[in-house]
Amino acid sequence: MASSQELSDFLRDVERRAFKQTVYAVRDDHAALDIVQDAMLKLAEKYADKPVAEYPMLFQRILQNTMRDYWRRQKVRNLWTTLLSSFGAGKDGEEDHDPLDSIDVEDESDNPIVQLERSQTILIIEKALEKLPSRQREAFILRYWEDMDVAETAEMMGCSQGSVKTHCSRAVHTLAAILEKQGLGSRAISKFGVET
Amino acid sequence: MSIDNQDLENSELDSQVNLDGQAKQIAGLLDAHANRLSMRTLKQLENGRERAVKLHTQQISGVNANHDGTLSGIFSWAEHHRIASTGLILGAIIAGFVIIQSFSHKESSDAFLLSAELPPEAFVDRGFEPFLNDGQAKL
Repeated sequence: MASSQELSDFLRDVERRAFKQTVYAVRDDHAALDIVQDAMLKLAEKYADKPVAEYPMLFQRILQNTMRDYWRRQKVRNLWTTLLSSFGAGKDGEEDHDPLDSIDVEDESDNPIVQLERSQTILIIEKALEKLPSRQREAFILRYWEDMDVAETAEMMGCSQGSVKTHCSRAVHTLAAILEKQGLGSRAISKFGVET
Repeated sequence: MSIDNQDLENSELDSQVNLDGQAKQIAGLLDAHANRLSMRTLKQLENGRERAVKLHTQQISGVNANHDGTLSGIFSWAEHHRIASTGLILGAIIAGFVIIQSFSHKESSDAFLLSAELPPEAFVDRGFEPFLNDGQAKL
């Protein structure tokens, strides 16, 4: 059984990646925060008796299921919104900007040009990730970002190892093609000092 | 021919290694970016983590602290309101069924007495039923 301290350390380690992963999937920061918090609570509530070694797989599965629940709710909500949209027009993009949202923390790079290039590259990658089919994105994130092996990824996604390889290959090819198109090959990415 | 096949396999392996390398570079960049979230987001993630850890501690100890300051065990009716409401509905249905059955039994017994060929007074006579049973036994 994992101790509370172990759970805390585990969540601290995965929470940022989980948040970004969810943002790529649902494209809404507020919803992503709710989903990650919900997944954390479910892990703590339902699997308190599990050893900490099982937490990565369990947490990923809970996160994926919580995202699916969100999409299902969104589908129903969108249906009603579409039906009732004629009663009043929405005011998109008129929310007040909070300066706290744009403050970056832990930015070690002093060179503003490198910072700008890096943030532009990340923006391109994030847009490309959002455009990927959901299964390809899921496979890519689990395999390369969460550093799971092919068997673990296949188990997580509920498909064969061959399917995982196909999804990953297609995802990487698509991402590489988009980056090449923007003039950002592997050399351009490696100059940001990313460890591989 | 075998050399050609080997070359092909080697080139496939090289391309796979390149692909993996490129994927890891992209993932590394995303990872670095994920560590630079806004203060607000980090604070909210921290809140969620703290709530989860608190819940985990309660789960381990087997005692939950309720919002009103009271303590309860792992199973709390307040938290399992769906089970409680389902139980109440089932109880009401069973009670209704029993009441209807008892009324319908009364009605059928009254109808039997009134529609029988014998007068109702015959059923009041305590010796009548043993008399009938004796008659059937003799037959």
